[in-house]
Amino acid sequence: MPYHEFKCSECIPERKQHAVIKGPGENLTDALPKGYLNTTPGSISERGCAYCGAKHVIGTPMKDVIHMSHGPVGCTYDTWQTKRYISDNDNFQIKYTFATDMKEKHIVFGAEGLLKKNMLEAFKAFPKIKRMTLYQTCASALIGDDINAIAQEVMDELPDVDVFVCNSPGFGGPSQSGGHHKINIAWINQKVGNIEPTITSDYVINYVGEYNIQGDQEVMIDYFKKMGIQVLSTFTGNGSYDELRTMHRAHLNVLECARSAEYICDELRARYGIPRLDIDGFGFDALSTSLRKIGLFFGIEDRAQAIIDEETAKWKPQLDWYKERLKGKKVCLWPGGSKLWHWANSIHEEMGLEVVSVYSKFGHQGDFEKGISRCEVGALAIDDPNELESIEVMMTLKPDIILTGKRPGEVAKKIRVPYLNAHAYNNGPWKGYEGWVRMARDIYNAIYSPIHQLALMDISKDEIPTKSGFLTQKILSDVKLSDEITSSSVMKEYAGKYDCVTELRTRVYPEFDSPKKLTAI
Amino acid sequence: MQDRMEQLLDYIMKKCLWQFNSRAWDRKKQNENILKKAIQLLCDDAVEKETLADKCYWVEAVSLVDNFKKRYPWLNTMSIEEIRLLITELKERLDYLTITGSLNLELTDPLY
Repeated sequence: MPYHEFKCSECIPERKQHAVIKGPGENLTDALPKGYLNTTPGSISERGCAYCGAKHVIGTPMKDVIHMSHGPVGCTYDTWQTKRYISDNDNFQIKYTFATDMKEKHIVFGAEGLLKKNMLEAFKAFPKIKRMTLYQTCASALIGDDINAIAQEVMDELPDVDVFVCNSPGFGGPSQSGGHHKINIAWINQKVGNIEPTITSDYVINYVGEYNIQGDQEVMIDYFKKMGIQVLSTFTGNGSYDELRTMHRAHLNVLECARSAEYICDELRARYGIPRLDIDGFGFDALSTSLRKIGLFFGIEDRAQAIIDEETAKWKPQLDWYKERLKGKKVCLWPGGSKLWHWANSIHEEMGLEVVSVYSKFGHQGDFEKGISRCEVGALAIDDPNELESIEVMMTLKPDIILTGKRPGEVAKKIRVPYLNAHAYNNGPWKGYEGWVRMARDIYNAIYSPIHQLALMDISKDEIPTKSGFLTQKILSDVKLSDEITSSSVMKEYAGKYDCVTELRTRVYPEFDSPKKLTAI
Repeated sequence: MQDRMEQLLDYIMKKCLWQFNSRAWDRKKQNENILKKAIQLLCDDAVEKETLADKCYWVEAVSLVDNFKKRYPWLNTMSIEEIRLLITELKERLDYLTITGSLNLELTDPLY
């Protein structure tokens, strides 16, 4: 498994240790990209900072909270534009964003007074919200503002409010991953165990490392509720501040994104003896295995199997419709830390795509071990790529589509490679059975969008056909398919609703007899 | 035997996550407990699952064994001794790939 040197990075020899091609007959002990290190000077990559990793990834998906950044207003820009972690309380946490708006004079004279004023104003402006998360930024950390002291002062003045303090300034780690770690530990140290929950089921879990991107969490919670499982808390998508203080009472931590949230699972395991079960919510086979394992843990695997059977029967024919049309298309999986390994195998086996590259800007070496293992031979794995390297990959591997964030995604578009937003999704949710079909549909729509046929032409030199008609997606996708496939009465295009999440919020769930109660009787 | 072991290993590496916990001590525990229980399940031995931790290992082992049997029908034709040997070799190889031979520098991080 040879290390790969990019032509554009020959002047930065250190970069060679950060890219690996999975070679035939080779394994993880032959080569592994370095990861979770400071960006090599001169490389100019595009990573999130530790503040971003703490607040924008993990803190802000909590729904019933004022999320306050103590720093310049620019630090807190991520709201509707870039984040899509929705919630069932009218998206309070992304509709409103709060910052103390530090200016130069505060750097000189201090900003603790400004912070306290902002906190009191925010609670006054939203009197129904009694919880706040407070984030240190580079600016306020460097001048030494004591945000813990101010938080305590505010809690003393307003006894019905509770404030969580996250000391993860932007420079607090090589990437956003440093912030994931800090906020995990801060939360369990400050808040877990403060409140006792009402237990309503014999089967109680925390759903950890799930951020409700376009409703992912709500889809999964629906399955858990159908199984009679009480989800004590979700860390943190659509999660409630006070529910997250009760994490210590779960019987099992079901962990989705290990990159961002394994820390709190490991701490809950060490401090409270709650085991950690890693699952995959993406892909029919992986999700079915995951539900079966959770069911098995509680002795209710029949309930899991009923969901698997029903959902598979309903959605598999629609997934297969897209698989036939996506077979052999080349994809670069360039998401965050965990999706590269959540998707690498499932997207290949269940959608027929060939994963030619995986990358992560903040993944650790463990993420690359998982990702490379799940890729086929020939895939190029890259840690913390810079923009020139990404362009070099697209020029040489010629992917049909890129799944990545919006910054590298816009670069892909400029060189006429379709991209989907792997962090926020295009038409999510992508988790769950229906979600996986929606993801396949988004990939299909992107690859076969007629606009890309036009975009591939260079009007400065290409001859523009004026006599041919406009091509539709189906003309493009079905041209090489057999009649058997195109006229199949079994395989069908996605037939779900535009919004498949909202209705879940009012669903009534079956009540199951409790084995413990039955024994007592 | 080698070829069969590689097939099982390929399944674990592509489909499972438990072998990749972040620290060497954790991976060692995971590999040891889950594969020990897998042997017990395959050989119809008694399996401990009284504690929450054991139950979690058992869940992973059941899932693994079910999928092994579904995907690799030759497993059902092997004797108990052969199965013990096969999974023992599988564990050795898995330990090498994920722990002793791993290039992951975080495995020995003293935090956790």
